[in-house]
Amino acid sequence: MREIKTVTILGANGAMGSGSAGVIAAFGGAKVYMLARDVEKAKQGIEAAVASVKTDTIRARMIPGSYDADLEKAVAESDWVFELVAESYEVKEPINTRIAKARRPGTIVSTVSSGLSIGRLAKAYDEDGQKHYYGTHFFNPPYKMILCELVTHSGNDKKVTQALGEYLDKVLGRAVVYTNDTPAFAGNRIGFQLMNEVAHFAEKYADKGGIALLDEIMSGYTGRAMGPLATADFVGLDVHKAIVDNIYDNTKDEAHETFKLPGYFQKLIDAGKLGMKSGGGLTKVVKHADGKREKFVYNIKTGEYDPYPKFDIPFIKEARQKIKDSDYKGAMDVVKKASGVEADIARYFISRYISYSLSLVGEVVDTKENTDGAMGFGFNWVPASAFVDFLGGPKETIKLMEASKIPVPKLLKDAKEGKKFYELGDKLDARSLFKG
Amino acid sequence: MSEKVFVLGGEQTDFQRNWTKEGKTFMSMMREVLDDALEKVGISYDEIKRLNKENRVAVFVGNFDAEQYANQGHLGAFLTEVNPALFGVPGARYEAACASGSVALDAAITHIRAEDYDLAIVLGVEVMKTVSSSVGGDFLGTAAYYDKEAKGVQFPFPKLFGKLADVILERYELKEERFMDALAEISRINYANAKRNPKAQTRTWFMNKEHAMARGGDNNMAVGGRLCITDCSQVTDGAAVTILASKDYTKEYAKKTGRKVDDIPRVKGWGHRVAPITFEAKKNESVGDKYILPWTRQTVKDAYKRADLDVKNIDVFETHDCFTSSEYAAISAFGISEPGKEHIAIEEGTIDFGGKKPINPSGGLIGVGHPVGASGVRMMLDLYKQVTNTAGDYQVKGAKNGLMLNIGGSATTNFVFILGK
Repeated sequence: MREIKTVTILGANGAMGSGSAGVIAAFGGAKVYMLARDVEKAKQGIEAAVASVKTDTIRARMIPGSYDADLEKAVAESDWVFELVAESYEVKEPINTRIAKARRPGTIVSTVSSGLSIGRLAKAYDEDGQKHYYGTHFFNPPYKMILCELVTHSGNDKKVTQALGEYLDKVLGRAVVYTNDTPAFAGNRIGFQLMNEVAHFAEKYADKGGIALLDEIMSGYTGRAMGPLATADFVGLDVHKAIVDNIYDNTKDEAHETFKLPGYFQKLIDAGKLGMKSGGGLTKVVKHADGKREKFVYNIKTGEYDPYPKFDIPFIKEARQKIKDSDYKGAMDVVKKASGVEADIARYFISRYISYSLSLVGEVVDTKENTDGAMGFGFNWVPASAFVDFLGGPKETIKLMEASKIPVPKLLKDAKEGKKFYELGDKLDARSLFKG
Repeated sequence: MSEKVFVLGGEQTDFQRNWTKEGKTFMSMMREVLDDALEKVGISYDEIKRLNKENRVAVFVGNFDAEQYANQGHLGAFLTEVNPALFGVPGARYEAACASGSVALDAAITHIRAEDYDLAIVLGVEVMKTVSSSVGGDFLGTAAYYDKEAKGVQFPFPKLFGKLADVILERYELKEERFMDALAEISRINYANAKRNPKAQTRTWFMNKEHAMARGGDNNMAVGGRLCITDCSQVTDGAAVTILASKDYTKEYAKKTGRKVDDIPRVKGWGHRVAPITFEAKKNESVGDKYILPWTRQTVKDAYKRADLDVKNIDVFETHDCFTSSEYAAISAFGISEPGKEHIAIEEGTIDFGGKKPINPSGGLIGVGHPVGASGVRMMLDLYKQVTNTAGDYQVKGAKNGLMLNIGGSATTNFVFILGK
């Protein structure tokens, strides 16, 4: 296994930078140079790192510094340089040029990026540097969300990849998913496909309940703790836009059109209504004078915020009760048999999610266990393969896809009936991700 | 007795899960764990129906406090909700605080030894994340003498086991630094072992020796005298099942599943002793004895005697490390060291995963988590895995015989079982 004793974190004061540094200093026991624009910010990053992993023992081996004064010295001493500066080529490329000049041969350099090309960023380096350059896409907050997408590019060396993967897995305790250098990699490509298409449906069904209705249909019984539109509101509509635009501009798959940003998302972004971080977006919470909080939802038709509605959809109620009783197949049977537009929508998105996840095997990842891991560990969504089993196996799932006019991926067509399709086993109990 | 009761296997839930957050209950937990256990062991509900027609199967539910945590009693009858195949199957709930799983095992073993039943399903279950930790701490206080030891006391059990640490330190005249280092090492080992266990509560948590040694402050608060958070096991939601069988049924089962009877482990010995309930009474009674917990030691001795084995024959231990001080005292109770010299066994690596007498390769209560009524059953399941070489990444090489110690209260109810081939 690769020995990593000294690490440099660039972007040490951000939530992801400090959280990742905490994990590396604690689990990895490494000395960590915490670099930010100025030393004060770096010191704040150290305190945030300590708080994130709840151990004072790491404080003494975290050294604050600034890019201007300390980058070259820190990089020259490091076994791993982890760059977490802003998500753009304009910011990352000049920093890479400086790292490239200072790094020793053999030092790993990686970036946390949701979608930039790792191959393009690697170009700042010489041959040895390119060989050791990776995407290490951690999820937020890193201590709790253990997924790491390890993104490789054509210049990597398989032995180095294996050693880094082992370090991330065995030492840092990450659930490592290996992905190719494709737009948004595995987790975000699948997750944001669903979120964005659900957003389109919210517009289509604006008269029937819009955003709130779609999140109700796609709620816990479909295998996610938070509705897809609540998730978009949580990550921020600007971040959502950056991710779907990147995928739309750089891919051409069967779901291509679903990555177009809905017009009302753009409207909200233009008005500065970016989601929870800006006090409102698709939803907002208003605190009244008596201290009571009330939730509102954006009305796509009127542009106003309406009180968040409650729904009474019998098949959802019934499915939730089955999940509550840990009868997962029973819940999926309810979904399969239910009638009405809401049930049609639920079946469409369950099919779409499974189909799209499995269709990326071969392009984005080598095995379905990688997409399953990305969704299970990164999004806390029931992985596609597990869904196939809960639905009653490949044949039943294919029937559902065909009824919803969703393409059937080859992997599913070729699957053997009567054998478990989900292969992550004890690594992730998919049942825990359904909410009753 | 070693030819009478066999263990066919079982399953546990993932102790990291929070069932209330998932919108599920103790009932859904029972359903999942029993379905999983039967599938793993290879026994169908139809088979249970068949055995039930001849009154050859029974269920034993270990649970401490569903009344308070889940507002539900009569848990022994709840397996009928899991599957109609269990209608009519004799079943009852067994309670002995943190040893509830063991008292259920004990009842099952007794019935099989008496040839009342051929198959016994033992299910330990506790849902605990339904309440805050301070409310839960008060509920747990009923495992002590509530009026005398727990009423109005925040987190009474860390305090009781903190007192045990005090008595160990004083009675054996240990150097405090060395003793506390040994307790930190116990904690380190349990957390490190749990990292290899895919069902452990703490498998993704950060812990190392340095952190265990850094007692005090916000990140490792003192909770009971000398004991801090890292010295404690933590409550969680969880259930575990082990399935026991008579020799006759084991023969049928072995034939059906293509296994050899000799490869299926059997319960070789057991011990069960109850010490005075208050810690003060325990302490007073033990004055002049080599052991601070003489009844715990006696329970181990009883089990060795019944199994006709000794510590030298035991390859792996699962112990009740509700706190580091309880594991510390267990080391001499097992006979791994002389009383008062437990720290030497710890320092020499004897109880570490790769040591001569590994304790808690699963991670123990500190690492795996402590869903009170499930812990004893989980320990038996872990012994089964070890002696059948099916423990995966936490397998102790070549383990043939295993011993478990499960205690209720402040080492009040003591249960020991020895499992081997």
